[in-house]
Amino acid sequence: MTTRIIVKLDVKPPYVVKPVHFEGLRKIGTLCDLVKKYYEQGADELIYIDIVASLYQRDILFDQVEAAANEMFIPFAVGGGVKTINDFSKLFHAGADKVVINTFAVQEDPSIINQAAEIFGKQAVVVNIEAKKWDNYWECYSDCGRIRSGKRVLDWVTEVEQRGAGEIVLQSVDTDGRQRGFDIDLAKQVVEAVNIPVVIASGAGSLDDIKNLILQANPSGVAISSLLHYDKTTILEIKEYLLDNGIEVSL
Amino acid sequence: MTNIIGLINYGIAGNIHSIKKAIEKAGGNVLIIEKPEDFNQVDKIVIPGVGSFKDAMFELEKNDLLESLKRCVLTKPTLGICLGMQILSTLGYEYGKTKGLDVINAEVKEIVVDAKVPHVGFNKIEVIKSNKLLEGVENKEFYFMHSYEVVNYTNISSLTEYCGHTFVSSIQKNNIYGVQFHPEKSREPGVRVFKNFIEI
Repeated sequence: MTTRIIVKLDVKPPYVVKPVHFEGLRKIGTLCDLVKKYYEQGADELIYIDIVASLYQRDILFDQVEAAANEMFIPFAVGGGVKTINDFSKLFHAGADKVVINTFAVQEDPSIINQAAEIFGKQAVVVNIEAKKWDNYWECYSDCGRIRSGKRVLDWVTEVEQRGAGEIVLQSVDTDGRQRGFDIDLAKQVVEAVNIPVVIASGAGSLDDIKNLILQANPSGVAISSLLHYDKTTILEIKEYLLDNGIEVSL
Repeated sequence: MTNIIGLINYGIAGNIHSIKKAIEKAGGNVLIIEKPEDFNQVDKIVIPGVGSFKDAMFELEKNDLLESLKRCVLTKPTLGICLGMQILSTLGYEYGKTKGLDVINAEVKEIVVDAKVPHVGFNKIEVIKSNKLLEGVENKEFYFMHSYEVVNYTNISSLTEYCGHTFVSSIQKNNIYGVQFHPEKSREPGVRVFKNFIEI
């Protein structure tokens, strides 16, 4: 099975931005330009997170999602401010293949995962987790690492799997945007804790970081932002490097 | 105008936007089917695939599309995608036992494998019985995203291996085609599949 090389776009419409430590937003470019760039580079999938929708308590901007979806023929996972079954439905109709949920599920009502899985199929329901490390455990955060949930990551991943989530995207508040490597210990524990695919984000700073993560934690996918946004490498270069190191990817 | 492809919109579920776009990219004309009369205006049918088996059948019935679809599938070239392929089967076991369209003698069961489920990602197909739909894409990689598989022994056109488990990745019976993967999410080989379907 190939490991998916995924690009995560943090969106503050109409721009793709990159938060450092989930704060201090830096503008990267316009959404459609970047979607096109990464599709043409050979990304296996794109994750689109409207990083301010939840914070501003507004709906995700469906026209933005639709415009982005028009640029590509690869899987498209979309999230940010998702609260209702109707939000899921509208996002699918705008061109999302999977819907990503975090804040509402972890802070308010986790049963939305059950409902969504039953209606849309579990493969279409992705739970995003913002993990922050404490002394000997990780806690789930929301709203760009601002708000604590009191839930422990390893408990929460098991719960969302049982509720019908089809995939987990795991971010680390501690390593996000710093380009100094992934929290491999966290990645490994989450991958081993569940039987659903886990995509690891937050921390890619070099080709070696990506290779080490895959060899040590064996995630289903790796989500990359900064490395690609700042043109330090390309998706093709990443994939060729991984292939040279015996890791299967889709070319 | 001839060769109009009817894309079924069954309410709350379905990723029709992506499929419409890919068919158009392949040079096809799409008409969205939302009521029984719409079937009369189309030459071919595409059944899309986001949702659960149970919900898909419920929505088809609720939207009064089920009977017309069952009739049409027997005469017009039809392509089921992912769940759209699965519901061509006799029975599905997702969220309880549900009757499918019953045009392919098959059952849809949860994937049992010593690996992550859903099976998500790009994976190769191995064509074991070639057909027009798969022309030029033999051994290409396609995007899969599913927790259930079609269990069938007589209409298999390709197989795919996932961590030691081999499952049916496409089927064909007369004018009826089904693909477990998502051609609309599989780059150029996916567009080629739609182009082939348009030319059938």
